[in-house]
Amino acid sequence: MSSGETISLKLNGEVREATAGPTTTLLEVIREQLGLTGAKKGCNQGVCGACTVLIDGKLARACLSLAVNSVGREITTNEGLTEDGEPSPLQQSFIDNGAVQCGFCTSGMIVSSHHLLQDNPSPSVDEVRDGLSGNVCRCSGYKKIIDAVRNVAGG
Amino acid sequence: MTEAGYSEPVSVDEVVTLLAADDEAKCVAGGASLVAMLNARLVEPSRLISLRHVEELQKIELAEDGWLRIGALVQHCDVAIAAELTEGNQVLSQAAGLIANPVIRDMGTIGGSVGHFDPAADYPVALAALGAEFEIAGANGRRSIPASEFFIDWYETALAPGDLITCIRVPPPPAGSAGVYEKLAKVKGDMGIAMVAVVMAMEGDAVSHLAVSVGGCGPTPIRLSDAEQALIGGRIDEAAIQNLGDKLSAASDPVDDVRASAAYRKILIPRLVARAIGQAKTKLGDGS
Repeated sequence: MSSGETISLKLNGEVREATAGPTTTLLEVIREQLGLTGAKKGCNQGVCGACTVLIDGKLARACLSLAVNSVGREITTNEGLTEDGEPSPLQQSFIDNGAVQCGFCTSGMIVSSHHLLQDNPSPSVDEVRDGLSGNVCRCSGYKKIIDAVRNVAGG
Repeated sequence: MTEAGYSEPVSVDEVVTLLAADDEAKCVAGGASLVAMLNARLVEPSRLISLRHVEELQKIELAEDGWLRIGALVQHCDVAIAAELTEGNQVLSQAAGLIANPVIRDMGTIGGSVGHFDPAADYPVALAALGAEFEIAGANGRRSIPASEFFIDWYETALAPGDLITCIRVPPPPAGSAGVYEKLAKVKGDMGIAMVAVVMAMEGDAVSHLAVSVGGCGPTPIRLSDAEQALIGGRIDEAAIQNLGDKLSAASDPVDDVRASAAYRKILIPRLVARAIGQAKTKLGDGS
């Protein structure tokens, strides 16, 4: 949807302009207008977790967040977690541990894992499972995802 | 369809005025339920009223009458760690910590959850056991409705068109009470098959306060005040617990769904009740 008013969003530390109507979701804006396609549209019902982002430091489903209701908030996607253009230690750990099969869930998994590790830098297997319980991997590649989160270098 | 309107009021009065002016308008709190319904085109409101700048709705505070006021916009993640919830009232923080998954707990709000009133939701069960009340602002000012009268039927509450939940009022916990929230779900993060909330206090061997509510097993949370009262002043032994669990099971009206059959839920209720009361007794230091 491109109708609506012009809004400014704080996305990954930059101010970005977009057009949104009252019911346009944040996910539609960041994927279709702002070109960040890490967050995926899976279920569009808040169930699958593929669109998980951070809003003001809290986890959020971009598909359940209205774009107009996100103005003024700090939005961070998986792309925004890179460090000086390089993968963060967590992102590198997903690569090193082969924690990617089809890749559709990966951005959401990394954002949820990032949030978990902020509160708990060395989680147990059960704590990782709890922390990622809102993210579905339909390839069922959970073992390596859990390994990736627990094996972050320096974590 | 014409494009919906959008407003960001800053006071409860403004919200009530906006709702009164447009009976197809909807308030947006966390968005977790409403935006999912918008995406599925199950609702098409004419106006969305964002509550995010209404300061009054965002805080937890102790009122002069000793009751706790939990603003409607307080998120589940913050209820789960609220230091203001002490003793038996911790049944509410335990319930909040078991809602769905970390993402939904970071988005969803207590007012949004109870207003939507999915009968498998966690808050209604705990709030029924606590004897909480709901403060509602409407065209005729504010009123407070007890939990026992607020939850009416599947997805139906005492909210009238134009009403806004402003806060959840939680009474002071009974002295020395303990709270236990028990939820059985197929996997972490799923809706519960059945839930039990217990608030209990003892004086020596005798029960001095008891509230037990059952959720997920009928249109509204189930409480049997007469059966609770009958146990006050006595020892609460295995037979008494079994008897209460059986009565709650008999009073339940569960449905068959994808998570469990109604018959399974009927069997489950006394077992969850026994487990929850057992944990409350342990917390209260009664090993009998």
